[in-house]
Amino acid sequence: MNPLRKYLYVMLVLLLTAVFMVACSGSGSDEPAAEEPAETEAEEPAAEEPMEEEPAAEEPMEEVILRWRTRPDNQAEIDVYQSVSDELNAKMEGVTLVYEPGGSESSSYQDVLRTELAAGTAPDVFWIPGTDVADFATRGLILDMRAMADATEGYSDENFYPGPMYHLTFNPESAMSGEALWGLPRDVSTFALYLNLDLLAESGAPDPRELAANGEWNWDTFLEVAQAIDALGDDIYGYGQNAWWGPYGYWINAAGGGFFNEDRTACALDTAESLAGLEFESRIYNEFDVAVPYGEDSEPPFLAGKVGMFQNGRWATPGARSSANFNWDVVELPDGPAGPSNWLFWGAYVVNANTEHPEEAWQLVQELTTAETQGKISALGANIPSRVSQEALDAFLTFTPPDNNQAFLNGLARNPATEGPLWAGSWPEYDAVMGPAVTAVLNGDQSIDDFAATICDEANKAFTQE
Amino acid sequence: MAAAIASEKGTPEQQVRRWIQTAVGWHTLLAIGGMAGLAWVWLAGNGETAVTFKLLATVLLLGGTAVSAIAAFDLYRLRHRGRFLSLALNYLLFLLCFFAVIHRADGFIGFNTLANNFGRALPFLFLAFIGLLIGNLGAAPGPTRQLAGRIVMALGGVAFLILAGLATAVRALFVALTDPLTLLLAVTLIPSALFIWAIWRQPAASLLGAKNADNEMLIGWAFLSPNLLGFLIFIAGPLLFSLYVSFTNWDAFGNADWVGLRNYGRALNLTLAPLADAAQRANEVLDITVYDELTRLTFLGRSYVIGAEDKLFWLALGNTLKFVLLAVPLSVVPALLLANLLNSKVPGMKFFRAVYFLPSVAAVVGIALVWQLFFNASIGYINYFISQITTFLGIADPQIRWLSESSTALLAVVIMAAWQWIGFNTVLFLAGLQSIPRELYEAATVDGAGSGRQFTHITIPLLAPTTFFVLVTTTIQSMQIFEHIFIVMGTNPAGPGNSTLTLVLYLYQKGFQRFEQGYASSIAWILFAIIFAATLFQVQRQRMSGSGYDV
Repeated sequence: MNPLRKYLYVMLVLLLTAVFMVACSGSGSDEPAAEEPAETEAEEPAAEEPMEEEPAAEEPMEEVILRWRTRPDNQAEIDVYQSVSDELNAKMEGVTLVYEPGGSESSSYQDVLRTELAAGTAPDVFWIPGTDVADFATRGLILDMRAMADATEGYSDENFYPGPMYHLTFNPESAMSGEALWGLPRDVSTFALYLNLDLLAESGAPDPRELAANGEWNWDTFLEVAQAIDALGDDIYGYGQNAWWGPYGYWINAAGGGFFNEDRTACALDTAESLAGLEFESRIYNEFDVAVPYGEDSEPPFLAGKVGMFQNGRWATPGARSSANFNWDVVELPDGPAGPSNWLFWGAYVVNANTEHPEEAWQLVQELTTAETQGKISALGANIPSRVSQEALDAFLTFTPPDNNQAFLNGLARNPATEGPLWAGSWPEYDAVMGPAVTAVLNGDQSIDDFAATICDEANKAFTQE
Repeated sequence: MAAAIASEKGTPEQQVRRWIQTAVGWHTLLAIGGMAGLAWVWLAGNGETAVTFKLLATVLLLGGTAVSAIAAFDLYRLRHRGRFLSLALNYLLFLLCFFAVIHRADGFIGFNTLANNFGRALPFLFLAFIGLLIGNLGAAPGPTRQLAGRIVMALGGVAFLILAGLATAVRALFVALTDPLTLLLAVTLIPSALFIWAIWRQPAASLLGAKNADNEMLIGWAFLSPNLLGFLIFIAGPLLFSLYVSFTNWDAFGNADWVGLRNYGRALNLTLAPLADAAQRANEVLDITVYDELTRLTFLGRSYVIGAEDKLFWLALGNTLKFVLLAVPLSVVPALLLANLLNSKVPGMKFFRAVYFLPSVAAVVGIALVWQLFFNASIGYINYFISQITTFLGIADPQIRWLSESSTALLAVVIMAAWQWIGFNTVLFLAGLQSIPRELYEAATVDGAGSGRQFTHITIPLLAPTTFFVLVTTTIQSMQIFEHIFIVMGTNPAGPGNSTLTLVLYLYQKGFQRFEQGYASSIAWILFAIIFAATLFQVQRQRMSGSGYDV
């Protein structure tokens, strides 16, 4: 054999050996690989065991690797979460945190997460939206941390808003709240109307913020303002919302109706109150014609300065800050026939049921939901702290623009309906029936009477799903 | 001395016989091990082990045991079938153990670690390469230079391996081998490799009566095996698994209960009920606990309502068929015309060919996001241009709500998809056109045929095979439409009034968003049956028309 070729073969064999040998080292690297499951050789106490049972002092402390994930909306949020992770990393002794920014909502965050859970490669701690908690809990995908929470000094469910905690402490077997703990809320959010102050001034309509301050901000005055702005031109709209359950849910709730009956075991979309709310919203589109066509994304035209009032949550604030080239502010949603209403949106940090380190994961969940950590996240403007803490709320008010941050907090205080899962059925199935039917009404393709006659026949099937 | 050693080892034939006898023992051991494994799966296995896994393990272990027993018997009787079975079994066993060891040693995820370390170790690989050059460049390198080159190579290689993480790797590998199962798998590698080597060799082949054809067959299988195994594991395996899942209510997380044909029944279950009058509500004549109103029809003056157990399945099927009916002509006919234009010999035509092909190579996600902006009813470019034209003509602006109205949403997706597919179809037609002999056109011209008659009497008939291929592939592509809709429709892929809900989108939602993998699999198999039937129909039509043409 040619010596050169022989040496090349030797080199190739060496390289391949190195590749396989190093690959076989798996987690032997200095830095943990992102995909590798958390591991330690130390015996972990079971979730039910009391926390004070710690390894004997003479035993060497094994490093625990915890992977955690949340759904950021942009690079700025990823950077903040990474810095939070770094700080907690330094603070949590014996634990190495690996932060994995999940995809955004449009990148199918939940679909990817479910697939990873099925494959057994999901992180130890992750965020899920409030509507998913029941599905994850009843399928045994997330850990019930009640025993650990009870053994934790200083922990109390009451430190967080009661709406999310009702669902996060719900025991599906007894159908009682307060008996389990599936996670802690990362943040909360409410709706507000984002106002284009330039269009408002040009239209000569009364300022909704003043109307709200005087207690005169209701559906009638809302309509007056929307009509005045809409009259400014064919390409100007008085109002805009996006097509999902939150925005139309407000109109239904504010009229005294709701998606479900009181114990959330049956459809209530065909009650007189629900229908009244939906009918008013339908008139906004089909009779008064003052809104961005239903189904169109209202955010681009709002940011382009063509929408007077845009209904959205706190998560739209960073976009307005960076892209709106006009004067803007926010105001709370108008009072409906049944009084003030809003949504309390939330998502929670939960613990993978298959984590090898439940104690450390529980500790991480607590650290991620301290007032201090939530303050850092809230400074970005995308969300409101989930802790009932005056300190956190005072800090939130300083994160401007918008000047009227109080509008979001007012939403929290004024009869919000809590976003939540369906413990007695399937929320995705329910939404899949409700969404198209409501869209048909708001687009003028179906009458309110036809909607009322059929909606609950179809939607109630979601409660009989396995 | 040499003769003494030879007599101690025996003659070459005796040595081969010993190898074969040992192989008989090895296969007997494997057969016993297989039976023991079977007993462990059913008797000692974890009570929570899925029945699916147990059944799969049973099939594999029983098959392996049977093959091993037959191989042992045939080898004992010196039959060639024993050689074939032994080689096949040891080959599969070797691969299985090899990949299992890598997996259990975290080897696959360890490639990430390698990627992290490789960069810092790479310079030393170059150092080793320099050593190679030092020792070998030139017509006759002296012994000193060769020695220096080898030292540099050795140092570079060792440094590379150390920096790449060899020490950590060796430690991790030894730690992994402390696990009894991993150790057993690693130890099994050795005899399986040894028996492949021993039974493959010519002396063993001769003793077992191998003919040239037998050896060629074995070599053929050996070359085929990577592709065959890949197909079986990554394509046929998942397909069969999906078929099995479609008869269960598997949710991807827990055990699956066998539900037979219930999933198929749920998807396909329809009912027809007569109405007293056209305005009568469906819930007065349908069992609303099972059925939802799908559609109404009037026949011989009588109105009927059709109810479906899963209305969304039928809506999705209808939307899929609508999409096919619109997208296939829109992406095939313009492509044919475009290919004719691009087939002309005009300067710069290659540039235009590339331009029209560009959308085909662009990522669907990027394209869909751009089209999403184009289609925006308020600030989109399409409506802007329509508005400019209508203003110029002095007619009313239709203000089309492309993505937010049920009557236009699917059409918008069709336009986007057809725009992307035209380029690829054009290239196929172009290749077909260039294979048509120019003489036919010249003869037709001499005979007085115009370009129109040439197109209809020469181009279209002789393009029939290409057209058939384009139609079949575009139809299949259309039936499987997913990405375009999933991206362009944003947070509501099903679209207004479920107008863009197609079968693949629906099975995705069922399987990955609503925890119904079993039902999603049944939809996938129904879609497969529809595509298969449509393709079969097209093939039959093609055969009936014939691909040749008497010009």
